[in-house]
Amino acid sequence: MYYRREYTKAQGSVHLKQNLCILINMKCIIPGRHTKVFGKAVHSLSRIGNALWFDPLEKGLALRVVNSSMSAYACIVFSPHFFHSYHRSALHEQGAAYAEINFKCKYSVKSVLPVFRSLSTLEKNVDKCTIYTNVNEGYMNFQLFYRNGITKTHQLAYEECEPLQAVFAKNTCPNVLRIQPRVLSDVVVHFPSCQEEITLSVTPLRVSFKTYCEEELEFSKSVHTEMHLGPEEFHYFQVGEDAEVTFCLKELRGFLGFAETTSSYISVHLSKAGKPVAFSMENMFFEADIILATLAESEMGKSSQKSPGIIAGSKLCTPNPGTGVSNAISLSENIDSQQIISTKHGNAEDAQQDTVEETPNHSPYNKFCTLFFGAVSSQTQENADRMFCSLATASEDEDEDLCHRRLSQTF
Amino acid sequence: MRFRSKIVDVSCLNHFTRVINTISKLTKTCTLRLTVNNLYFILTDKVANGGVSMWCELSQGNFFDEYQMEGVCMEQNEIFLELIPENLSRALKTAQNAKSVKVKLTNKHCPCLTVALELPSLSSSSRIVTHDIPVSVIPRRLWNDFKEPSVPEFDVSIYLPALKTMKSVVERMKNLSNYIVIEANRNGEINLKIETDLVSVSTHFKDLGNPPWVSDDASQNSTQEIDNMAEARIDIRKLLQFLAGQQVNPTKAICNIVHKRMVHFILLHEDVSLQYFIPALA
Repeated sequence: MYYRREYTKAQGSVHLKQNLCILINMKCIIPGRHTKVFGKAVHSLSRIGNALWFDPLEKGLALRVVNSSMSAYACIVFSPHFFHSYHRSALHEQGAAYAEINFKCKYSVKSVLPVFRSLSTLEKNVDKCTIYTNVNEGYMNFQLFYRNGITKTHQLAYEECEPLQAVFAKNTCPNVLRIQPRVLSDVVVHFPSCQEEITLSVTPLRVSFKTYCEEELEFSKSVHTEMHLGPEEFHYFQVGEDAEVTFCLKELRGFLGFAETTSSYISVHLSKAGKPVAFSMENMFFEADIILATLAESEMGKSSQKSPGIIAGSKLCTPNPGTGVSNAISLSENIDSQQIISTKHGNAEDAQQDTVEETPNHSPYNKFCTLFFGAVSSQTQENADRMFCSLATASEDEDEDLCHRRLSQTF
Repeated sequence: MRFRSKIVDVSCLNHFTRVINTISKLTKTCTLRLTVNNLYFILTDKVANGGVSMWCELSQGNFFDEYQMEGVCMEQNEIFLELIPENLSRALKTAQNAKSVKVKLTNKHCPCLTVALELPSLSSSSRIVTHDIPVSVIPRRLWNDFKEPSVPEFDVSIYLPALKTMKSVVERMKNLSNYIVIEANRNGEINLKIETDLVSVSTHFKDLGNPPWVSDDASQNSTQEIDNMAEARIDIRKLLQFLAGQQVNPTKAICNIVHKRMVHFILLHEDVSLQYFIPALA
């Protein structure tokens, strides 16, 4: 069985540098038992963004995706152990120069998804899956070898493209939590599918997830959900400073879809509002990360400034809405939250001033997306241009060190 | 006003969830009336909802392990709230393995029906999830709008056939027409009919039995033929909504027809009764 699927912009040309004759081939063979995992990865990344980058690295094959508002970036790197065999690029040297050129390409997720349509049948019936490319032809081949002798070949035209890459120095985050993916899935299941953003707050005593609503009006219209987890639910729990971050939920759900199928722990790294939050997991077969932008503090401050006033006010007019017990608890919570708020109030004002200076164009949407890729630039103006470049360029090995160095300055 | 309640028993929780699901399928918004002994979910017949009305009554003792309420005053010891049943249904959806579910009236940023789930966790302490469902408190002067509807002076009362069978019949008919005619007699027969320019379809059910109503005795002696059909033409979507949405698995399902005026359904399941009124169209 042989058919071709979707030819978009076929671009087979390769930049030829310095008289080298280069024939770049990427070839990897996924054993049958791993095709489902690979397929699951494609499926879950497809829930995050529309374009999927294939980026063969020395440490494995990276699949990357960025959502449309650039507020979420996910990357899954399958290590060479994951594959039956993994050849990144064949190098053809001419003369003395031995060059290594990375081949990277981008697909529309919609064209890759059909290759791995039915995950359960893939696992049962596929003997192996081969992904290879021959640049001269201009498309990538996905070959599924079925146990019953059928071979399906999908040829997808790709667009050669440097992948976007988010750089985020996780190790500078004061707060690190490690948790089973199952627990996180159990948390997000309580939020309605239409919920766009949730707030995660951490203190040394507990971690809570709650509905984030932007406007006061929404407060009285939509269901407000809150869930708390005690530190004992975490495999590793390190909270250096209290933090509250708000990020998009849909993309996290997509990522958890993949994470749930494995038994590895998810590490959550977060610092403070406005700084990205990272969810990552790794085992011998793959490393998976999702980095989510979070709302800037000024925004968060505004919304939380409202709530204590409202709560306090309502307490005054109607003394006993619920029970004595719950009131007592909510009272102490109020005091706590007011303290938090008052400190936050100061911060919020500062932050507001900052943002006015930096981004005169302050549509909330803009703010949300700038946080992640843009936050980097706002910090050190002189570095801004350079940083943007490094964000947009590939994860070429020689660049990596550079990236890290730059990052440690900013994050 | 105070209200707090708690469900611990799993089967009670499932049963309660099914009732709420049924209601959320029938209406977008409804009124919740709390009294000392009962909970009522009420939808009154307004033009906005196509004249359909609903009255669902639960006896609290059969669902809740704890139930405390305190109304506005001693004389009128009741609470009326308006809520979106879908919100409640969604909150209960993830409560299936909960150790306990508390439902209480709170006043956070606005009046809320707070559903607090106590879920098992990996550690010894349990996870608490709270859903604050916004509600609006209905003032006393409007309470009269939510009186229990009296059983109409029906022409025929009959037991319904298995709701699943009826649902699959009506589902198919819906593809052909927007209206359905329900007709029934006192001889245990129901016909479901659609008539369009192109096609007429009718499905007949026999030997269904007619429930004995006290008031019936008088009329049964009258000269009226037991084979006389009473009929009503109703919106097929409303009927299907009722048949497809119901999850209470009633022990008894009764249909009362007021000739050319309305169809009145009653579902009875132990401690739950659900009445649903669909007006007839000309």
